[in-house]
Amino acid sequence: MNLSIFIMDGFGIYVWPSFIFTFIICIFLFIKTHKTLRKLEKEFVKELETLSKEQLSDLKRQKIAKEILISHTRT
Amino acid sequence: MIKFLNPSNVFNLTGKILNFIKTFIIPITIVGVIFSLFISPKDYIQGDSARIMYIHVPSAWISLMSFALISIFAIINFIFKIKNLSLIYKSLAPIGLTFNFIAIFTGSLWGQPTWGTWWAWDARLASMLLLMIFFIFFILSYKFIKDPIKSSKICTIISVLGLINLVIIKYSVSWWATLHQPSSINLIGETTVHSSMLIPLLIMLFVFLLYTALIFLMKYRIETIRVKKKGLKKL
Repeated sequence: MNLSIFIMDGFGIYVWPSFIFTFIICIFLFIKTHKTLRKLEKEFVKELETLSKEQLSDLKRQKIAKEILISHTRT
Repeated sequence: MIKFLNPSNVFNLTGKILNFIKTFIIPITIVGVIFSLFISPKDYIQGDSARIMYIHVPSAWISLMSFALISIFAIINFIFKIKNLSLIYKSLAPIGLTFNFIAIFTGSLWGQPTWGTWWAWDARLASMLLLMIFFIFFILSYKFIKDPIKSSKICTIISVLGLINLVIIKYSVSWWATLHQPSSINLIGETTVHSSMLIPLLIMLFVFLLYTALIFLMKYRIETIRVKKKGLKKL
């Protein structure tokens, strides 16, 4: 195995942590945001269930509510 | 145009764009990383340490661009009271802060082999750190100040001060003698980076822009649902 790819003339200890740290932060932010979005969508759908039929039919006419319901059922 | 910017239309569009980005981001990231770490040549002075540039430079650009955008949106929102703009700047600010932090951290890792120090109180580095403080105060002011008028006012003040700092960041390397090198890539002037290094840099910039769009759209959906939930309680 060619270790020079990892050692990079001694600069590997700076280069690899830069890339790894960046990707860890990016993945962490993605997972955190994704979880919050799913949680809010679930809560929104739960709150919809507590509404009366009239309130629900009014709300379903709104594009955003419709979209949240569709994306929630997809997951 | 205003009709197109209606939250309902924007919300529907975000769903479609999110799926599109999710499909392409991983393959493009792999290509970008292969180019940055293995295909691009070593720098003739800095050697392999220059590869940190492929992370550091796009991160710094995106953090500056994000702050410029959130500032403009905050100022317009303060003057014209367009609610959708507040949703946009709330969704963009955390990404700007993240990339600002990445730029400072990777800059520090690059500084050690190049300058012999992790940190120096020079104009470019200090102004980037100041930008991080502006990002933090901006986020705190819309998160913890419940009165929307007061919050918008404070966000606007931070934006104006931050915009002055952006000019300082841009020209710090020309106005003062700093450890940080001057810009090698110029939109108007001559670019001194060879294409063998410029191409990986542009690929990584594209990857980071895709990621920014991905998180921004997810955060925009979160903010919109929060507004809708408040509306549900009023029904």
